Amino acid sequence: MNETTNPLPDFGFMQALLDVVIPASADGRMPGAGALGIAADLTDAIEADRQLGPVVVAGLRALRAAALALDPAGLAGLTHPSGRDAVEAQFAAHPMFMNALLRFVYPAYYQHRRVLEALGEPPRPPFPEGFEVETIDPILLQHLNSRRRT
Amino acid sequence: MLCRPSSRTIARMTNEPVGVLIVGAGASGAAFAWSIADIGTSVLCLEQGPWMHQKDYPTNFLDWESRAMGSFSSNPNVRGLAQDYPVNDVDSPIQPLMFNAVGGSTILWAAHFPRFTPGDFRVRSDDGVADDWPIDYRTLEPFYATNDRMMGVSGLAGDPAYPYHEPPLPPLPMGKPGNVVAAGFEKLGWHWWPSDSAIISREYEGRSACINLGPCTTGCSQGAKASTDITYWPVAQRKGVQIRTGCRVREITVRSDGMADGVLYYDHDGVLQEQKAEIVVIACNGIGTPRLLLNSKSPRHPDGLANSSGLVGKNLMFHPYANIRGVFDQPLDGRRGPGGCTFWSHEFYKTDASRGFVRGYSYEGTRGAGPVGTALWGNVAGLVPWGEGHHDAYARLHGHIAGIVAITEDLPDESNMVTLDSELTDSNGIPAPKVTYTLSDNSRKMLAHAVERGKEALVAAGAVETWSDPLMRTAGWHLMGTARMGTDPKRSVVNESGRAHDVKNLFIIDGSIFVTAGGVNPTSTIQALALYVADQIKKNIGNLFD
Repeated sequence: MNETTNPLPDFGFMQALLDVVIPASADGRMPGAGALGIAADLTDAIEADRQLGPVVVAGLRALRAAALALDPAGLAGLTHPSGRDAVEAQFAAHPMFMNALLRFVYPAYYQHRRVLEALGEPPRPPFPEGFEVETIDPILLQHLNSRRRT
Repeated sequence: MLCRPSSRTIARMTNEPVGVLIVGAGASGAAFAWSIADIGTSVLCLEQGPWMHQKDYPTNFLDWESRAMGSFSSNPNVRGLAQDYPVNDVDSPIQPLMFNAVGGSTILWAAHFPRFTPGDFRVRSDDGVADDWPIDYRTLEPFYATNDRMMGVSGLAGDPAYPYHEPPLPPLPMGKPGNVVAAGFEKLGWHWWPSDSAIISREYEGRSACINLGPCTTGCSQGAKASTDITYWPVAQRKGVQIRTGCRVREITVRSDGMADGVLYYDHDGVLQEQKAEIVVIACNGIGTPRLLLNSKSPRHPDGLANSSGLVGKNLMFHPYANIRGVFDQPLDGRRGPGGCTFWSHEFYKTDASRGFVRGYSYEGTRGAGPVGTALWGNVAGLVPWGEGHHDAYARLHGHIAGIVAITEDLPDESNMVTLDSELTDSNGIPAPKVTYTLSDNSRKMLAHAVERGKEALVAAGAVETWSDPLMRTAGWHLMGTARMGTDPKRSVVNESGRAHDVKNLFIIDGSIFVTAGGVNPTSTIQALALYVADQIKKNIGNLFD
């Protein structure tokens, strides 16, 4: 594995990347994205997207090369804050790549059962149970009564 | 004498001539089919898409948000399904949206269901711009009412912005987002009213009531939202109307005397078929309809069918949308519930010269987004960073967003148009539409006004932070004006009964025939017009072609 090969099958790199994009929360309530085992699904989604996929792969390739230049273990080896800062600077310098990457990372993360549970969202499809149907605020309706056309 | 109905089985397997042929099974095609079946002739509808199944809709799955952004996207260029045709929208700041299936775009719509106001039909008389319609609100009123019953509309009678009418079902709950934001309008003394919604608030005609599945724009697994595949079509089929899916019409054919005599279409196997008919009705939306007419060239109609005025495809109107959102301290349950059916406001609907623009806009209350939508929107809005700080910023938004959209009235302009793309085609090789559209100065001013007033309302409602998108790009839901109605054949494509000036047995019934756009969602008016045109045909069947 070197900086010129396809970065997508490099799950070590992808896992480290995911933890940079969405780290675990300080209180431990929200898991880091790298801890969810979503790298394989993520790479499938990126490869299947003919429009955004190439943008993401090109960005990942550059990013991994930058990380390998700093540490032989690449992104996964960059435990020192300064090394990680350097990689994050690469992210920040390429907003199109980051926005494209987030189009894949956020859906994978925020539809994961562990994440939904941590958010207080029921980890189930909306149908068939649905959600509570509230009532209209009766005080608001009282305001309308005086204005109603008859 | 129109053809009598034949066996449904035989007609499905053959292309024997029919009395009435409808192209398109969406909002207008379904309403028209249901009504025209009364005349007892054979009625056939050709639809390029399939029947949908509620079990396939995204809300049946945990990854519903991903599905909603993919194969259930409202943008045909994103979906790219076999039944879709591409739309070249490079020269438009607004992307046209639609869905191709039995039910058409009602499969994915929000079902916000306002009527046009009486003033929307007399824009020239009231404000000296655009044109008046050749028909008025009173003409359409009984058809609005019929349509409300057929679709199943929930609402609260008595809105002072409208002539009195009674929706058949009680209003939908507005949810926490609606209650909170409406209270802001109330505090400012601004008009607001619970929306008329084509979503049933209790059991109705065998359909189950809304259970707050979430954004209705992914298809309704519950069947509470009215899409015409579950409202009009089952009844129309029981009345004998036939519907043939997977059939994409290439062109309308004409006889030597200039009358339409049917269509050429590709069946689901890609085989070119010919279907003869005595009356041809187009219901393909404000982009699909001019595309079909422009593709129907012949020596007698070298510029496309029904186009002696040169106006087929011209005067394309969207509703330019502004999106205004607020972040609130209190939990609002985000996206749970119909996303666009809480309340509306006509506070800024009519012309006020002091505002610097003519005509006006309505507001529509909106709920928040799902977990993925919140993250993606937070990124675009610059409110949620990736990396350190992500979770704190996200937690501030998740379940804490409510907002409004402004639906501004777009005035007709001949330079906004649908033409045929010189290269792009659909999977059958039929030239695809190209949209050329420029936002007017009037619309720009209106949107800016709507953003500022909208933020004021959200702050009054308690928003601790506001955000706005002054022109939503993915918002071309409403496609209007490209085959406009009028009494002058030189200034319009169809007459006051929806009949093409140039072709006496060709009718158009979708948003193409709108003269002006109003400042509200158009589907209620599109369907009322379709019912009205069917009624005109039924009343005048004896001398229809005179």
